[in-house]
Amino acid sequence: MMADMSDEKTGPDLTVDIAGVPLANPLMTASGTCGYAQEYADFVDLKQLGAFVTKSITLRPRRGNDYPRVVETRAGMLNAIGLANVGLDIFLEEKIPQLRSLALPVFVNIAGTTIADYVAVAEALDEVDVVRGVELNISCPNVKEGGIQFGVDPRQIENITSAVRKACRNNKLIVKLSPNVSDIAVSARAAVEWGAEALSLINTFTAMAIDPETRRAVLSNGTGGLSGPAIRPIAVYMVRRVYTEVARDADVPIIAMGGIQFARDALEFLLAGATGLAVGTSLFVDPACLVKIRDGIGEYLARHGLSRVQDIIGAMED
Amino acid sequence: MARMCGNSDTARLRGAFIAEVLANEPLCRDHWRMVLTLPQFPTTRAGQFVNLQCRPLDDLLGARQVDWPAGGTPRFTQPELTDRETMLRRPFSLAGRRDCDGKVELDVIYRTVGVGTHWMSELKPASSISILGPLGNGFRILPGKPSAVLVGGGVGIPPMLYLAEALTAGGKNIAAFLGARSAELFPLHLLTGGHVSPEGSPAECVAELAEWSVPTAVATDDGSLGFTGLVSEPFERWLDAGKLGADDVVVYSCGPEPMMQAVGDICIERGIECFLAMERHMACGMGTCQSCIVKIRDDSEQGWSFKLCCTDGPVFSAGDVIW
Repeated sequence: MMADMSDEKTGPDLTVDIAGVPLANPLMTASGTCGYAQEYADFVDLKQLGAFVTKSITLRPRRGNDYPRVVETRAGMLNAIGLANVGLDIFLEEKIPQLRSLALPVFVNIAGTTIADYVAVAEALDEVDVVRGVELNISCPNVKEGGIQFGVDPRQIENITSAVRKACRNNKLIVKLSPNVSDIAVSARAAVEWGAEALSLINTFTAMAIDPETRRAVLSNGTGGLSGPAIRPIAVYMVRRVYTEVARDADVPIIAMGGIQFARDALEFLLAGATGLAVGTSLFVDPACLVKIRDGIGEYLARHGLSRVQDIIGAMED
Repeated sequence: MARMCGNSDTARLRGAFIAEVLANEPLCRDHWRMVLTLPQFPTTRAGQFVNLQCRPLDDLLGARQVDWPAGGTPRFTQPELTDRETMLRRPFSLAGRRDCDGKVELDVIYRTVGVGTHWMSELKPASSISILGPLGNGFRILPGKPSAVLVGGGVGIPPMLYLAEALTAGGKNIAAFLGARSAELFPLHLLTGGHVSPEGSPAECVAELAEWSVPTAVATDDGSLGFTGLVSEPFERWLDAGKLGADDVVVYSCGPEPMMQAVGDICIERGIECFLAMERHMACGMGTCQSCIVKIRDDSEQGWSFKLCCTDGPVFSAGDVIW
C-alpha cells in the first residue's frame, strides 16, 4: 500500500513511523482544517502527504456555533466552529469512500460529550480498513461539553484514554493534548500510562477578542481557540517538554502542530522531538504549503548531508 | 470591445497562482480597481470570487524568516514582529475577465478598509500577488426569461459588472440599480454627457455598464448622486411601472444585507426569481474552515441548516435565506 507513495526522486529518506503505521513523510493535515479531503482535491495533491487527519467526528451530526465563528488576530486566528460535522453515520457512508481513494493512512479525530460517545465512535471506526488510528480530541475549547473537560484533568485523561483504548483493537490510539493546562507533561504522562500510542500537541489556546465599539466578544461563542504562527514558539516548547519528560523514554511518537507555515518551522518541531507534523491554519492560505514544507525538509537534510529525517527527531543541542 | 481574442491556456485545476499587477488605480475615495494578469487561470463565472494574499509572497516571507543567522545576533525581522500583515487571505468578487494573447486578465474592485486592502492599494504595476481560486458557485443565468435586473450596493457593485457582460452574451435585456453612501464612494465612472436621473430612472450614465448598453439608475444615501435614499425604492417603482413579473425577469443582487433583504422581499412578493451574492468573514474559501455560515431554509426537521457562503454560495436564492 505504501509502495506507490515512495518518492521517485532520489533524496533524503523522509519516512517515519507513527506507532507502527509507516508514513511516506511526516506531513499531515491538522484536524478541523481540511474537511474530509475532497474539499482540497483541486488545490493540493494530498497523496504527497504522510497521512490524512480528518475533522472531528461525533456520534450525531452537529450544526456548530452561530456566526461569527472566526476572527483574525495578529499572526493568528481565533475559531469557535463548535465541532460542526456530518456525524458518524454519514461519515462512514459518504466520506470514508472518498478517503479510501487517497491511498493514505487516515487518522480520524473523534469527539464527544460522554465517554460512551467516544467509545461508540471508536468502535465503529475500528473495522474500517482505511482508518489506521483515532485521534482523541479531549481538547476542543469551543464546546462546553466538547471534550476539554476530559483533557485538563489527569484523572479524566486516564478514564477516557483507558476506555477508548479498549475500543481500539485494530486502530492506533492518538491522544490530542490541550495546552490549556499548567504542565502539559502531566497530561502526556497520564495519556501514555493509560494507553496512548502517540500524542498530538498542541490543540488551540482558549482565547478571546473583544470589539471595543460594541463592547462585545467578537465571536458568537464568546471565546475561541487561538491558532497560527502566534502560538508556534509555545508549541515548540511544549513538544520539547513532552518529548524529554515523557515521550522519548516511553518511545511514544509525537505529532506536532501549532503555527507551522514554512519548512523552517517544521524543522524546529522535528528537532524538538516530533515525529509527525500537522499543518492547520496555513492550509487556509494555501493547501499546497504541505508539499512545499515536505520538500523544504528534504532540502535541509541534503544541505546538512543527512540521509534520513529520523536522524533529526529530537536532535536539538541541549 | 472584444473580450475574447484568442484562446489562452486555461489552467485545469483551481489553486494558488502568482499574478502580476497590471494596473492598480483609485476609482473614488476608498475604492480601487486592480487588474491582474496571469499566463493561465481556470474558467470563471460571474459571482465567483478569488482569495488574495494581502502580503508579500510566502517565498519572500520564508526568506526573511531566516534573517536570524546561526551564531549571530537576532535582527527581529520576522514578519510577525515587524509588519502589520494579514495572515489569512481576503475574498474579492471578480469584476471582469479578459482572455487575450495567451494571457488572462482579472479585474478586482476593492474598498480599502483594513491592513490587507491598504497593503493592496500600495502595490505598483509589475509587482506580484498570490491569488487563490476561482471560488464559489457564481450566478446562474436562466434561459427563458428575457430580462435581468442588477441591484448592487457599495462593494457589491463589482460582481454586477462581470454579470452584465455574461447576461449580454446571453442576449438578455438588462437594467441596473446601483447604490452608494455618497457620490465620493461611488466606485464607477460616469459617462461624459450622461444623465444620472435624480428620480432613479435607468439611463446610460455609467461608463462600465454603458459598455454593455445597460441603462443604470444610481441612488445615494445623501443625494449627492442620483436618487436620494435606498436603491431598493427606485428598483421597486421601476418593476411596477414596467409591470414586470415572474415570467419576464430575474433579479441579481449583491451589497449590504439590509439592501439585499429589501430587494429579496420585493421579488418574493411578486414571485420573481432573485439571486443574492452573500458576504461572510471566511478563513479559507474552500469549504474546510466552516466559518462562513449562512442560514438556509431546507426540508430538514428544524426547517433550516447552515450552508457555507464559500462553497454552497456565495450566490443563494433570496427565498432560501433566513436573515
